[in-house]
Formats: sequence, structure tokens, C-alpha cells
Amino acid sequence: MFATPVQVRKRSTHILIGFTALVCILILRLFWVQVVNGSFYAEKAEDVRMRELPVEAKRGTIYDRNMNSLAVSVSVDSVVANPAEVKKNKEPDQRAIANELARILEMDPEKVFQTITKANSGFVWVKRKVEPDKIEQLRNSTVKLNGISFIPESKRFYEKGKLAAHILGFTDTDARGIEGLELIFDKDLRGLPGKLVAEYDARNLELPQAQHAYVRPIDGHSLVLTIDETVQYIIERELDKLDRERKPKGATIIVMDVKTGRILGMSNRPTYDPNERDKYPDTARRNRAINDVYEPGSTFKIVTASAAIEEGAVKDTDKFYDPGYATIGDRKVRCWKPDGHGSQTFPEVVQNSCNPGFIQIGMNLGVEKFYNYLLAFGFGSPTGISMNGEAAGILVPKKTVKPIDLATMSIGQANAVTPIQLITAVSAVANGGKLMKPQLVEKVLDSQGAVIQTFEPEVVRQVVSKETAQKLNLILETVVSKGTGTNAYIEGYRVGGKTGTAQKIKPNGGYMEGEYVVSFVGIAPANDPAVACLVVVDAPQGVQQFGGLVAAPVFKSVMTDVLRHLGIPPQMNTGEAPAAATNQVEAVAVPQVTGIGVDDAEDRLLHVGLGVATEGFGTRVVNQLPQPGEKVTPQTTVVLYLAEDDKTAKVNPGTQVECPDLLGKGIKQVGDTLAKLGLSFEPVGTGVAKSQSYKAGTKLPVGTVVRVEFVPADETGP
Amino acid sequence: MQRKLIRNLDYTLAAVVVLLLAFSLVVMRSASANVGAEPLDFVIKQTLWIFTGLVVIGVSLFFRYQTFARYSWYIYGFNLVILLSVILVGVNVNGAHRWINIAGFQFQPSEFAKLFIIIGFADFLTTRQGRLDTLKDLLPCFIYIAVPMLLILKQPDLGTSLVFLAIMLGMMVVAGANKKIMGLLTFGSLAVAIFAIYGHMTWGWWLPLQDYQIKRLIIFLDPDIDPLKSGYHIRQSLIAIGSGGLFGKGLFQGSQAQLNFLPEHHTDFIFSVIGEELGFIGSVSLLTLFLVMILRGIKIALDARDTYGTLLVTGVVSMWLFQVLVNVGMTTGIMPVTGIPLPFVSYGGSAMITNMTCIGLLLNVCLRRQSITF
Repeated sequence: MFATPVQVRKRSTHILIGFTALVCILILRLFWVQVVNGSFYAEKAEDVRMRELPVEAKRGTIYDRNMNSLAVSVSVDSVVANPAEVKKNKEPDQRAIANELARILEMDPEKVFQTITKANSGFVWVKRKVEPDKIEQLRNSTVKLNGISFIPESKRFYEKGKLAAHILGFTDTDARGIEGLELIFDKDLRGLPGKLVAEYDARNLELPQAQHAYVRPIDGHSLVLTIDETVQYIIERELDKLDRERKPKGATIIVMDVKTGRILGMSNRPTYDPNERDKYPDTARRNRAINDVYEPGSTFKIVTASAAIEEGAVKDTDKFYDPGYATIGDRKVRCWKPDGHGSQTFPEVVQNSCNPGFIQIGMNLGVEKFYNYLLAFGFGSPTGISMNGEAAGILVPKKTVKPIDLATMSIGQANAVTPIQLITAVSAVANGGKLMKPQLVEKVLDSQGAVIQTFEPEVVRQVVSKETAQKLNLILETVVSKGTGTNAYIEGYRVGGKTGTAQKIKPNGGYMEGEYVVSFVGIAPANDPAVACLVVVDAPQGVQQFGGLVAAPVFKSVMTDVLRHLGIPPQMNTGEAPAAATNQVEAVAVPQVTGIGVDDAEDRLLHVGLGVATEGFGTRVVNQLPQPGEKVTPQTTVVLYLAEDDKTAKVNPGTQVECPDLLGKGIKQVGDTLAKLGLSFEPVGTGVAKSQSYKAGTKLPVGTVVRVEFVPADETGP
Repeated sequence: MQRKLIRNLDYTLAAVVVLLLAFSLVVMRSASANVGAEPLDFVIKQTLWIFTGLVVIGVSLFFRYQTFARYSWYIYGFNLVILLSVILVGVNVNGAHRWINIAGFQFQPSEFAKLFIIIGFADFLTTRQGRLDTLKDLLPCFIYIAVPMLLILKQPDLGTSLVFLAIMLGMMVVAGANKKIMGLLTFGSLAVAIFAIYGHMTWGWWLPLQDYQIKRLIIFLDPDIDPLKSGYHIRQSLIAIGSGGLFGKGLFQGSQAQLNFLPEHHTDFIFSVIGEELGFIGSVSLLTLFLVMILRGIKIALDARDTYGTLLVTGVVSMWLFQVLVNVGMTTGIMPVTGIPLPFVSYGGSAMITNMTCIGLLLNVCLRRQSITF
């Protein structure tokens, strides 16, 4: 060898130590990676292979105050693709899949192909929330759709279409509330999404037998509104009629329970169908009742009058002289009656809606007191109703008020208010002077139906005394019985109210020539008011633009049906003979008219002494409200929902039809199927049909109510 | 074979090798479970290579190892011929000519080249013993190694070329080459290499390497410079090893390996599978086996009857030590990605037969050692 044994030993020891040290460095490194940072890397390893797919929670239902559903969530399937799985198919098969999807889903084949073969991806949406029949077609497709799957999502379905559209609002594709109550109560309605955790390998292929975790979503809460579906129908019906006959730029009707501040119905024109909101211009989504201001005109004189009575600024015996105009400084304000009303008492001033009279009353009150009441009635600040974008209204700043401003304010000009502010203020007068906070939501229910929150009526403040309020109510009754509001007179009922006609404000100030906002606000019964109703019509066509001519008849139609629906008995009107037996009415059972022709239905209803109104177009009645068997007062209007002929077969009453198999179908599908056969439909729950009250194949007479229970699709799934 | 020779057998080494091979097959079963067409494909083939290796060991033991020295130049020449033929007629896999088809089998000549160069270089140095003091003396040695090494670099196979350097360094130092010159050259060239790579990255200097090779060399410093290729490998390997923790996830349970997040997990990155499925305990056990094997090798080198035997064993031990350090260093993210397999554990027929033959060399030197002890 080339070294002495001692040198060799020494050298070999060095080499041993050196090599051992090198291996020790590796061991230290392993210790650092595996033991010290082990959990960090373990988490990373999990991230690498686990993917989470969100599972939508079922959005809560929105009910009217009688638990009729207005907005429900229906389970629908979305089509998704795992590009990694798709690419396991041969190229021509990938094309075939893309073409088949494109054909059924009505999409561009090239785009679909790009989507489902996206690089480095394990999940892509092909199309979200697809109609059930298309999903059915896809499931039965002869093309093998490897790598394509369907995941349940919920789709918001507004069962009554345009009904209460502005109140309900709508949601986006991801079921987030965008407008209306859907937005305001989004947190309650939304629930907590669950998730589906699945394990994937490096090529993004899902592992069939691998770890899967399913975290159940927590379903959203439901809302019970103060809205009464029937009242809302009545309002919608009258607005539609108004729309047809007067072609106004806009219109609003609000019906409020004066004792609680709860809104029983509220709608605007133009409106839209939240199910198909893309088909309507954005302007149709404006909730004019809440978002827009207008000059209330004479309807506002109710505020002026209550303030004056409360402050003792007028007495019934005071005499007012109207020469046809009032002079304030160097300016003249004309009365609507060119030659004036001459000498009047205070109630006559109100009855005549006499401008010079009210100007004098306002002047007597003075700026300070007038503003106190203005603010106390809630003008100039939002009412706090649960709606988005509520306007505060525009008041003439108190500091800059000149006598001419006080004069015009007294007759409802110069200040701009929202319809909701006005009806809330008028309701305060009707409610013994107590201003209530307007409410749209009565209760929040959890997904099991248990009440978790109740919105009690909220008194904002006592604005005027009970005596003042009562006095004014009676004066308002005389406006209807002998003043400007006679068109609002409802036979048998004591109705109070006030007309209003105001020139429209131009966007840049000043008034528009020839365009008016006409309105009518009223209460009933005048001796013990229960409901208030406001009708505002923006620029009606074809008639003289006076509140008494346009808005009062609408008010009358609405109020007549609302009072009957609410079961408020007609009273004997002062100075009038009671209508025969109307105060001792016998309830009438609503007959079954669903499934038959509209003419037949009308005959039957009129025969038993009920009113008829129709909704929709067509010749067949597919649904009715109130439902058959319900006890109602005579003359109650029954709303008939019509459908087109192609959807509903012509069936004669009394014929027998076979009950179809409805299981597994969606609500809409079930409804269409039954309507076609002339059967009535009573849906319970949401989702897909799980049971039906009659077995498929059972012979049923036309018009039989088939009760179908629906369950969310995911409950039947994994 | 004489009975007295058998008495000289290093049982510790034999036991370590058997354990190592058993370990290798068990891990191979898990690591290759979803790679081949059949789950056992790679285990069967690897077993086949092991038995081939055992036959080679058996046959080689009948020859005195000194016999190999006589044919060293033929072996050297043969080595150059097969390396050249790889470049000329080799099979192109992923842009590299590393394999050659003979009788239906694919061989990787660069693996055998390591063995051939050890056998030849040991003789080359023995004849120059005591004449390795000046740079002029050392130059022929460098040229001897450089020729086959450049052929391998041409394939391109940077990893195996580097193994050549380690073999050369180990053998020359033990052969008594001037330590100052060797040290200077080693650290000097390391410094030059680092500076050159820095220059390449910063000022775009030309280097005789492919862009991906340079990236692999420096990837462990920052996996983000190539997050989709070598950076991805390093990151997935670290996640695999780290997530194994102290005791590992168990065989067949490593998600990184079984779900193919970890590339090359039955070949170059098999150590990551061990780290993931057998944990810190498993990986340290494996390293301990290697350490014992290397230390036994050093003992055999010291006990060898002659310089040729010592140098043979030195070459083998240098090769193994370098490969283990670089491979495990690579999988744990502290060394460049060079594509060097882990001896006896990574899948590969050429490598297995080469390493088994090396064991044969060690045993040969061990059996025919001096009987004197000190």
C-alpha cells in the first residue's frame, strides 16, 4: 500500500467520520421536513388532492301572511363537466359529446367543446339551472356522455309571476338576493351552503372509491310577509286595468293596515316578471312606492288640516273666504276652481280642497309649527321600511322658507314625498294619531317552520291626538260623501279620503306643462279606520287629469274588494238607507271552477252572487282565488287565472280523466300536466314530486284537486 | 472456489445488501402499483434483474479480481464503443439518447460505463502509483475520465457525468494524488461552475448545457423558477416526504405517490415514496443501511490485498455515496435535480445489474484480502 498502517488508520477514521457526517446531514434534513414540518406538508398534500364543490343551501320560501307561497326554490340540475374525464374519450367522441350537449342545451357546439376540454381543469360549468325536460333528454341521450354530470342547484321560482314583483325582488344565478326582500333578507333566506369534498388524482380524475365528504347545507329561513296575496291580486288587477285604459307613465297602489302599519299590498306600474326579468327594461324594476318622490298635491292637505286642528289654529266654526286665489306678498296662488268657493267653513274647505282656504290655515299655523308636524308625520326622512333604495323625500329647507313656500307647502306643493311616506302619514291620522312604522315582513321562520323572529307593530310616535284624528276622519268622510272625492264612494261603507292633483316637477326644477300626478288616498271605515289605500297615477292619458276623476274610481275598486276580502262588514252610511241585508250577510262557499271554460266559470260564480275578475289570457281557468270551498261574503271577487288553449285541453265539466303519474316531476311541470287535463293542483313543499293524493291511472272527474307533495331533490340523493 | 475464501466473506455486507434489496422490492410493489399495466410488472422485472445480478456475482467470484486489470484497456475501448453507439443508434426517449436495444431488451450503457471506468481507472492509477504529484502527472488521469464522460454528457445525461467526477475524485485521492492540486481543482471548478451558472442566469452567458439542465441544477434554491416542471417535482416530492411525518402513511397509502402527483416515483423519486409511506423512521432506516454498506466498503478497501483492490472498492464506494447523497438531497430539496437513481432501490435493469456486479467486486476483493489483521 502507499501509506503506513498508522496513517491508514488515521485516514480511515477521518473518512468514516466524514461520510457519516454527510449521511447525518441528510437525516437532519429529513427530520426537519418530516418531523418538524410534517403537519404543514400533510395539509399541503390534502390541498393537492381534495377539491371542494359548494352545495347550495335551499333558499327560504317567501309566503304571504296566509302562508301562500310567493317565491320558492325549486331544485334544478346544472350540467357540469370534468374536462379530465372528458378527455379520456377519443377525439371524435369528445366532439360527439359537445355536439349532443350543444344540440339539447341550445348552445354553440364549438364553445361547448372548448369548455368541456379545458386544459388543467377538473370542473367546469356547461350550463347552469337547466330545464328538467332537457336534463331528461340528456340522461336518455344515445351519446355516452362520459365526463358530464348533473348537480342539483336551486332555482328561484316566483310562482305568481308579476305579483308583488317589486316587493319580492329577485336573486342572481348564484341565488344571492339582488333586489327587494330577497336582498334585504338575503342573510336569512340564504342559509349556509354545504360542500361536497372529493378526492382527485394528478390528472384531475375523480377517484371513484376515494374519500368523499358531504357537508349538508343548512336551508335558509322563510319569510312571512304582511302582504295578503288576495289584496295584492286586487291591486295588480286594478293597476293592469289602469295601465290599459289610461296608459300612464307610472302608477302605484299601496294598501296598509292602519292599526299596525303592515302593508297588505303594494305594487307599481311598470312592473316585471322576476322569472323573466331579462325581458323587461331596468326601469320596470323601479319600486316607485319606495324609491321615487312626487309632489302629493291636495292629498297632503290632510297633514295640514291635522296640524291645524291639533294646534287649535282652526275651529269648525271659522269662516274662510275664497275669491278664487290667495295673495301672498306680490304673488297670487290660484284655487283649482277659477271663480273660487266663496265663504266656507273649515270642513267645507277640506271637502272642496280649497287652496286659498288651506293657504290661510297654513299661514295661521306658521313655519315653526308646520315643520314640527311635517317632520313628526315622517316627511323628509325614510320610513325605515325593509326595502332597498328608499328615498327620504325633499323638503324645502326650513331656514330658507319664504311665505310663498309655506303657502304652497300647505296645499301639498313644493315638498316631494314618497308614496309610502304619504300613506304612512295618512294611516297615522286614521290610527288615532299614532304613526306606525310601515312593515312588509311579519315573521321569519326556520326551515322547519318554527317562528324565530316576529316583527311586532312599531309605534314611531303619537303625532296628533286621538280626538284630532277622529275629527279629521269624519271630515274626510264628507269629502267622499259630498266633496271632491265622490267617485270613491263605496255603497254600504263609510269611506274617507282625499284627492290630489299636482303638476309634475321637471328634473331641473320648475313644473311640467300639462303633466300631472293624480292621486287619491283614503281610509275605511271612517268611524273606525282599518285600512288605508293610496293610488298614485303618473300622467294618465285620455281624461282630464284630476285625482277625483282618475284615481278615486281606482281607489273605489280596490277598497271595495279589499274590505270584502278582509271581512269588514258594510256599515250603514249616514243619511242613507242600509242596503238590503248587507249587514247580515250570509257567507257563500266559493264553487269549484278550475278546469272549465271561463264563460262557464263566470256564470257559475255570478249565479251564487260572487264577483269575477280574470288574470292572464286564454279560455280555460287553471286556478282560482279564493280556493274552492272557502267561505266568503257575497259579491267577493273571485280571481280566475286563465291559460292559453294549447296548454289546456278542452274538457267538459263532468268528464272523467285519468290521473297522470306525477312523481319525480317539478312543480311547473306538474302544474302544466294537471292543467292540461283540467285537474286542480294543490302543491305542498318544493322540489320534485314525491307523492300524489290520487294514484296514477285513477279516474277522476275534471276539476278534482290533486294534492302533490314535493321534496327537495337532494333529499332523495346521496 | 476454495473453502478458505468463503470464510472471508463479509456477512455484514451480504446481510445489508439482502435487506436493502428486500426493502427495495417492498417499496417497489407500492410505488409502481399504478404505473405499469399490471401492478406487479415492475416488481417482477426488478426481481429478474436482481437474480441476473446474483448470477453475475456468482460467476465473477470465480475469477481473481486482478484478472480484470489485464483487460483494462480492452474494457476502456469497449466502453467508448458502446457509448458512441448510444449516441449514434440509441433510442430516443424524451430527447435523450440513453438506451440501446439488444435482443429486445433496452440497456442503459452509461450505467455499465460507471463499472467499466472503475475497473479500468483502478488499473490506470495503479500503474501510475507514486507519480501523481504534479499537474502534468494528473493530466492523463483527467483525460482518461473526460473522454467517456463527455460522451455521456452528449447523450445528454448530466447526472451520470457527475457520478464520473465523484468516482474520479475518490479514486485519485485514495491513490495518493497531490491533495493540494486535487482540492484546488475540486473547489476551483465548483466555484467556476457556480459563477458560470450565475453568469448564465444574470447576463446570459453561453454554457454547454441545455436550458432545462441548468434550471434543474438551481431549482432547489427556488422551486418557483420552473413551477410546472422541475419545480413541480421538487414541490410534490417535499409534500410527499413531509406529509409522511414520523411513521408514514403506510404502504399503498401515500396519496402523493398513488395518485400520481409525484412524478417518476418508481425511479428517481422512489425515496419520496419511502418518505411518504414509511415516514422518518423508514427513510432513516434506509439511510442507515446505506451507511453501513458504505462503511463496510471502506473497511474492505483498507483490508485489500493490493492497491488495485483498494482502488476498485474505492471507486464503487465513491459512486454509491455520491448517488445516495445527491438522490436523497434532490428529493428533500437541498440538491439539484440531476436524475441520479438511488442504488438498489430505484427501478432500472442496467443500474441493478451494475450495482450487483459492484457488490461482486467488493466481495471478490474481500474474499481475496490479506489474512493479516491489525
